[in-house]
Amino acid sequence: MNDVVQIIIHFVVTFLFSLIFVMAVATIMVYWERKLMALMQDRVGPLHYGPQGTLQTIFDVVKLMFKEDVRPGKTDFVVFRLAPMVFFAPVITAFVVLPFSPYLTAGALATGLIYYVALSSIDVIGVFMAGWGSNNKYALIGGLRSAAQMISYELPLVLSIVPVVMLTSVLTPACSGPSPDLNVCGVGSISFTQIIAAQMRPEAPWLWFILLQPLGLLIYYTCGLAETNRSPFDLPEAESELVAGYLTEYSGLRWAMFFLGEYGNMAIVSAVATALFLGGWSGPGAAVGFWIGLFGSFWGQVVFNIICVFWFVFKMGALLTVFVWVRATLPRLRADQLMRFAWLFLIPLTLVNILLTGALLLLPMGDVARIAIAAVANWLLMFIFIFTFRRVTGVNPLGRLPGWLRGRTPTARANRPATAEAKAKGVLAETHR
Amino acid sequence: MATDTHADTASYFEDASGLRSEEMILNMGPQHPSTSGVLRLVLTLDGETVIQCTPVIGYLHRGMEKIFENRPYIHGARYIDNADYLNPMINETAYVGAIEAIMGIEPPRRAQYIRLLVSEMARIASHLVAIGTYGLDLGAFTPILWCFRDREGLMDLFESLSGHRFTHNYMRPGGVVHDFPRGWMQQCEAWLDRFEKVSIPELHELLTGNEIFDARTQGVGYIDPQQGVSFGVTGPNLRASGVVFDLRVTRPYGAYREIAVRPQVRQEGDCFARYMVRMQEMAESVRLCRLALEKMPGGSISQRVPLALRPPRGEAYYAVETGRGELGIYMISDGSEYPWRAKIRSPSFTNLQILPELLRGNKIGDVIAILGSIDIDLGDVDR
Repeated sequence: MNDVVQIIIHFVVTFLFSLIFVMAVATIMVYWERKLMALMQDRVGPLHYGPQGTLQTIFDVVKLMFKEDVRPGKTDFVVFRLAPMVFFAPVITAFVVLPFSPYLTAGALATGLIYYVALSSIDVIGVFMAGWGSNNKYALIGGLRSAAQMISYELPLVLSIVPVVMLTSVLTPACSGPSPDLNVCGVGSISFTQIIAAQMRPEAPWLWFILLQPLGLLIYYTCGLAETNRSPFDLPEAESELVAGYLTEYSGLRWAMFFLGEYGNMAIVSAVATALFLGGWSGPGAAVGFWIGLFGSFWGQVVFNIICVFWFVFKMGALLTVFVWVRATLPRLRADQLMRFAWLFLIPLTLVNILLTGALLLLPMGDVARIAIAAVANWLLMFIFIFTFRRVTGVNPLGRLPGWLRGRTPTARANRPATAEAKAKGVLAETHR
Repeated sequence: MATDTHADTASYFEDASGLRSEEMILNMGPQHPSTSGVLRLVLTLDGETVIQCTPVIGYLHRGMEKIFENRPYIHGARYIDNADYLNPMINETAYVGAIEAIMGIEPPRRAQYIRLLVSEMARIASHLVAIGTYGLDLGAFTPILWCFRDREGLMDLFESLSGHRFTHNYMRPGGVVHDFPRGWMQQCEAWLDRFEKVSIPELHELLTGNEIFDARTQGVGYIDPQQGVSFGVTGPNLRASGVVFDLRVTRPYGAYREIAVRPQVRQEGDCFARYMVRMQEMAESVRLCRLALEKMPGGSISQRVPLALRPPRGEAYYAVETGRGELGIYMISDGSEYPWRAKIRSPSFTNLQILPELLRGNKIGDVIAILGSIDIDLGDVDR
């Protein structure tokens, strides 16, 4: 009985923590984004409410809550209402498994990674419902785009995680050694706690997976940008093309739910990247033995957990800042370029990465040698990735098309005949003048 | 260009497998973030592909030509600022140039040099807006703010010169209104230096070398030189297709007869070329501004011309090169205080005509890329 109560308390505390954390991270993130982008763009950003405009986002949220709930006519009412919830609920739910510190993980799901991946793919349904239910053409196009985009990028996102799981099969304490405990790990662990533990083993406390899998992080992060509809993959809500995409008809609190959900998603992507590649809560001072020796069992644990949370949030914030930086820098891809990038480039690359890492980890050598070889191969692959990227978009930085494209592009695209249907209909017969 | 939309019934298609699909009519604008004002495009879409595009204009029509006919000549110089509100100085030059042509007077050399200087500055300002908004159209948020930051310096210079930031009312038949305030030339030099050394390289770094920007613009919206000429396209859009047509070179007016302009031409003819021509023209304009400041002659800034103008009977067409192309004023005088007719041949209106041809067969994303690269200005289209 006592155990059950403890578990319930544990769960409630962490769940409330997650819920509040989503809200807090979204509000802080909005402010930080506006301020940082203002800095990059020679502006001042929000300035008037609170010192340096810190209360601006809170005012914004309050404003959104009191706004009239406008619903355009002829919407699909149920779908229109349900969409923001379908979008927002997985965000909060996914937050529960994030490992902020050894204590602050609700239940420490052994299937944490799969759980996160499953929840993150629910979002697309919400977006698509919003696009369909709004009875708006811009929203419809935005919804269709986002469905295509999120499904396409889901695959490389998940595939880029697989090598990490493979690495844990060698590195997780319970899994390595001559007779791995199959009950705990199988071919590797998909529990966040185990993955973090693998990155801070006593003999190698700084063996973050970014050192072993830089390509994995790069692909994961790129796909994360696409998953959360952030620039340069913000086509579903491309302001200059589709007004606001699937958000066009939303206002007030429903809009705020999409908005907070988007920022929550960004936070989750960053948090998962932190846990998988940046060593989770490890960092200077995150050593439980030292603090217990200093303050005794209880207070030692408390101090240790606070430091863990600090490092986790710090790394997460750093990754979130990169989101902002990317947004301030890059233009937007076109829909077909986006798809081409995912299907012709990212997915084959992740598959190669999985094959290569898996094969190298099977080499009949010692653990250290195997891991080192796999890491070197991954670094090489990443540099190949970076230097071939210029060729993938079909352009080189000097502003000239490569030879194999130059021959056909401009003139071929110039007076492209209308589609076959249009010809059949005789649309072209009507001139525009 | 059709201004009615008779094609408001979508039709159904069946493909080989019996799947029914439908064309969608999308009204892009007049309230849309990136139709450069109040342009309305009626797009017939098959999925994301544009089958047909009908621009609908007239939402910003102010009857400018008619207004000119009912005002004394001198009032028009102020009002034409609003035609192409992104380079008002050049508009005024064209307007007063037409009056001068009818009257057969020539402004003093100093006035002509001042006109050249402010025209080139206005061209830079206009191109800055074009490039900044083009970045925004393609989803890059930063360029527009950097461009407007730099443009603000120009606006300050114009303000201290003419008294107005935006609608300057600076030109008069026979010359200009004010001479430079004290220290103005140094300020202008300083701005030009900063712009050339810092801002242009910054913009190049941000946009020109960017793979995504290149991928979005290169090979998109190709204008064939002959097609461009036959549609009457002028300005950077035509020069990007390899046609050397720049009124400052081919039919020089004012001080351009003394200061040689190097026309900026590129051969590619796509959106990227149009963007690059604008970037190159900004650098060229900086050079021209420097030359004008250096060679600035002394003397009077204006001829003595009566305020209540009564030009003799006659007509004149006076064309200048704005940031968008050939802006011509065709003016007929019947000897009274009011113009009998003042026709504006505006570059944006003519450039817009090629848009349906360019858009057909492209994706929605490219609609914005192409529209932005043509750089129309709805104030100029509708007048």
